[in-house]
Amino acid sequence: MLRTTLAKVLNGAQFSPKNIAVITRAASDQAAKKPEKIEVFIDDIPVKVEPGTTVLQAAAMVGVEIPRFCYHERLAVAGNCRMCLVEVEKSPKPVAACAMPVMKGWRIKTDSELTKKAREGIMEFLLVNHPLDCPICDQGGECDLQDQSMAFGSDRSRFTDIDHSGKRAVEDKDIGPLIKTIMTRCIHCTRCIRFASEVAGVDDLGTTGRGNDMQVGTYVEKMFLSELSGNVIDLCPVGALTSKPYSFTARPWEIRKIDSIDVLDAVGSNIVVSTRTGEVMRIMPRVNEEINEEWLSDKSRFSYDGLKRQRLVTPMLRDSKGELKPVDWEVALLTVAKQLKNAGPSVGAIAGGFADAEVLVAVKDLLNKLGSEALCTEHTFPLDGSGTDLRSSYLLNNKIAGAEEADFVLLIGTNPRLEAPLLNSRLRKGYVHNELEVALIGPKVDLSYKYVHLGDSPSVLEQLVNGQHQISKKLTSAKKPLIIIGSEVLERPDGGAILSAVQKLCAATNPQTENWKVLNVLHKVASQVAALDIGYTPGVDKIRELSPKILLLLGADEGSIDKSDLSKDTFIIYLGHHGDNGAAVADAILPGAAYTEKQATYVNTEGRAQQTLTAVSPPGRAREDWKIIRALSEIIGATLPYDNLNEIRNRLDEVAPHLTRYGTAENANFFKQAEALSKSVKSQIDKTPFDVKLKELQDYFMTDSISRASPTMAKCVQAVIKQKQSKY
Amino acid sequence: MAQPLKKSLKQVKPILSLDKEEARKRVLHLYKAWFRQLPYIVRRYDIPKNVEQCRSKLREEFTKYDDIKDVRVIDMMIIKGQMELKETVNVWKQKGHIMAYFKDTIEPKPTDFLSKFLTSKD
Amino acid sequence: MLPTLRTLGNGLRRSAGFGRLHTSAISRHDALFVHRDTPEDNPDIPFEFTAENQKRVQAILAIYPEGHKRGAMIPLLDLAQRQYGWLPISAMHKVAEILNLPSMRVYEVATFYTMFMRKPTGKYHVQICTTTPCWLRGSDEILEAIKKNLNLEVGQTSSDKQFTLSEVECLGACVNAPMVQINDDYYEDLTVQDTNEILNDLKAGKKPKPGPRSGRFAAEPSGEPTSLKGEPPAAGFGVRADL
Repeated sequence: MLRTTLAKVLNGAQFSPKNIAVITRAASDQAAKKPEKIEVFIDDIPVKVEPGTTVLQAAAMVGVEIPRFCYHERLAVAGNCRMCLVEVEKSPKPVAACAMPVMKGWRIKTDSELTKKAREGIMEFLLVNHPLDCPICDQGGECDLQDQSMAFGSDRSRFTDIDHSGKRAVEDKDIGPLIKTIMTRCIHCTRCIRFASEVAGVDDLGTTGRGNDMQVGTYVEKMFLSELSGNVIDLCPVGALTSKPYSFTARPWEIRKIDSIDVLDAVGSNIVVSTRTGEVMRIMPRVNEEINEEWLSDKSRFSYDGLKRQRLVTPMLRDSKGELKPVDWEVALLTVAKQLKNAGPSVGAIAGGFADAEVLVAVKDLLNKLGSEALCTEHTFPLDGSGTDLRSSYLLNNKIAGAEEADFVLLIGTNPRLEAPLLNSRLRKGYVHNELEVALIGPKVDLSYKYVHLGDSPSVLEQLVNGQHQISKKLTSAKKPLIIIGSEVLERPDGGAILSAVQKLCAATNPQTENWKVLNVLHKVASQVAALDIGYTPGVDKIRELSPKILLLLGADEGSIDKSDLSKDTFIIYLGHHGDNGAAVADAILPGAAYTEKQATYVNTEGRAQQTLTAVSPPGRAREDWKIIRALSEIIGATLPYDNLNEIRNRLDEVAPHLTRYGTAENANFFKQAEALSKSVKSQIDKTPFDVKLKELQDYFMTDSISRASPTMAKCVQAVIKQKQSKY
Repeated sequence: MAQPLKKSLKQVKPILSLDKEEARKRVLHLYKAWFRQLPYIVRRYDIPKNVEQCRSKLREEFTKYDDIKDVRVIDMMIIKGQMELKETVNVWKQKGHIMAYFKDTIEPKPTDFLSKFLTSKD
Repeated sequence: MLPTLRTLGNGLRRSAGFGRLHTSAISRHDALFVHRDTPEDNPDIPFEFTAENQKRVQAILAIYPEGHKRGAMIPLLDLAQRQYGWLPISAMHKVAEILNLPSMRVYEVATFYTMFMRKPTGKYHVQICTTTPCWLRGSDEILEAIKKNLNLEVGQTSSDKQFTLSEVECLGACVNAPMVQINDDYYEDLTVQDTNEILNDLKAGKKPKPGPRSGRFAAEPSGEPTSLKGEPPAAGFGVRADL
């Protein structure tokens, strides 16, 4: 394969330190004597560049953008569209800027007659076989071909189809429920193919045939199913690959774009929410080199139709017959307030996966005022040792971007491909470009790259801690080792012992880089880190013990607590946006806003605080979550001291200053102390093998209340199951 | 520094009235003009108010600004009042515009958090 | 229907004398570049290299260094085609499996090269060249003769799976035009009679002798040489005397 390096093929999946050592030494030699920079001239502007820089990159350095279709910074260079042809002085022919490294003293003319003529010619060739269906094309208005033919194409056409023999026509492919293909529009830039093979690691796309009959597709009837497949829609410079759920719904010039944050996993990808007429039309990624580069996982991109279904749009109360009946806010708030007053301090709260920091802090303040400390998160985390007192023990300390620099990664009880697809794409990047080696303890899953499967027995972890395992040496000798532990294994009863073992293991490694953090915890939900930062107790055991008279569910839908766990007269209040498991057991429902409908703070698994912005208003009588709590507090008579967003943000700042430092990830410290405290953990690791919930692609699409309500996600699950039965 | 400021304040160009007394006369003049027109206004616009109610509204509208002392501001408001009067008398307005003085349909904006929350107005 | 209309249209235009613009007709490939499951060609039909070919596979793979084994793809596909007569999808899958590659990478290669037959092909694949030199030397008659003899149209395979007829571009034997290629052998300097003879021999199970039919050994001039007959002149021949 294009990226399987010699060392990897030689060793298969086994480790051979000798070979790797040779390669790394060679690499370090190269780094030692840095070659001199060479000077080239772009339109007579001198620029000094590293040897090996392409003409296109050199031009970008002086701010000259050369048109391109096939070239993409994050993909391998293909050089097949020829749009980037530029004139180089003394060169007989124009050269393809994207693929040609500059030579010393080259004078590149990006605006000369020859260059213009070359571009015009290429444009003409591309358009000869491109249908003139822009008015019915979903890419219209944001199409590279449209833009570039306006900018660089000829102002008249020589295309005369007097034989009426028609343009090239290619049959459309069915590559799944997310991507609509109109292959006649394809200009064969092969970006999608390169993305599938390099980034997604699913080699399903390719070119078949040759010459004028070449087509991009799968050859056989097979769907392109990956957790990152939606990105080919963004990559496609024309309308050949467009979004199926978005098709024919809106035009780019009539939508409003709002920058926001994705909350469907703990990565916190940066997104742009496109809205029109108060409706979310689509979600696209926003570039953030620290987190998601420019990719977005399919669940984050396509589950937005779940925001329009199964919504709680009005407050509801359970009547004497046991049925939920819609009521006014006044009635709902008064009823709930009465219950709260009667209950006194016997109140508990459970925060689900979508709870934002504002509502978390408001609920905490309210319950504390009422004299209760029973604030829990739905997902547990061990409390032994340092527990959640030290941030370092529950964060992805080395940051997402840091994952691609690692040279050895040990994954414990996690399937990053489905739990955090964009972290996995970083790992894959490291694997492809950086000689990264990966080992996994846990169930055998497809990570889209090769790894050493160490089995799913916890005894492997013990062996590693004792330094007896065959890869122990590998781990201790690695220069940039990473240990990524899934939050799911820490939810086990013996989670404390596991975390303590992992901390010991981390202490045994010898990272050679400064500020390199070995211990990394990968969470699965967006709210967890913020909740732990604010001081929620992980896990619902406390609620079970106390069995409070009133239980407030902040969008807790995973069924972590059952009615049978509570006393019969417990009054359950559900504050959330979807009618899911939580709402089904509730006695009172207070409809909240989903992440596209509020300005709210979320902290991702790295500990990076980011905020969503209001793209649309909450449906029906739904309100922003923290405001509901604030209103409730006033009716009870324990008014919370904040009336607007700024004031509650000030309160957030008081609780934990990093929560309002948007965009930056606050580093965690006290690794040594955490490790020392972890030694106090006396419990033993259980013999039960490590397990993860998300094993295969069909498990990925429907994991939370939003994606469970999404018809598109349901179609994806069906497609994956159908694909499983296919022979290809 | 205070000196030139005072000087310039003194030398401000008047809009209409040269002193307070003149301004007062103009205000009364405008009031009377409105007062005389009220019966016709009530009839022409067919508003559900009688002349008596309109008179009290007129008085209310004038006394609303009785704390204004600046002659220039008073002059400005007289001009505005004359414009209003002309528009009203010439029936350049419609019924709704006249009724807007009585503002019966507009609810005051909620100011405290809870009423804002319940009315969904932020 | 459509082609007739088009020819009619062309004729009209020519006779009317207008239309200075010349466009060449778009020639579309006769093969399909997507796979459709058929009873003869679907992934359920097993394909396995024979024991003898297994050895060949090993020998082919041994040529390529570690890390570059995918270079063996074309030889392996060719081997599979020789074994099976054509290249079914299962054979592509087998090759992908041997090379440890995604099957798409094999499809790409198999569809790119026209000599990989992805449709059921007869035992004898008759490929007639109709490019200019052969055409000038009468390839049209030869093609007619083949069609008549085999009762096939271009692109068809006989029902007994013995013959497939294809029209191909230049095969590089212009000096012996007209010619046909049947499997790996060239039959050159053909006449209609020769063609029928060859096809009848094949039908009878005999193997006709490949090469020129005109009695030539190879590409030498037919009859006597016409030039360069004498001794080559000595050095200085034809050079000006004053030099």
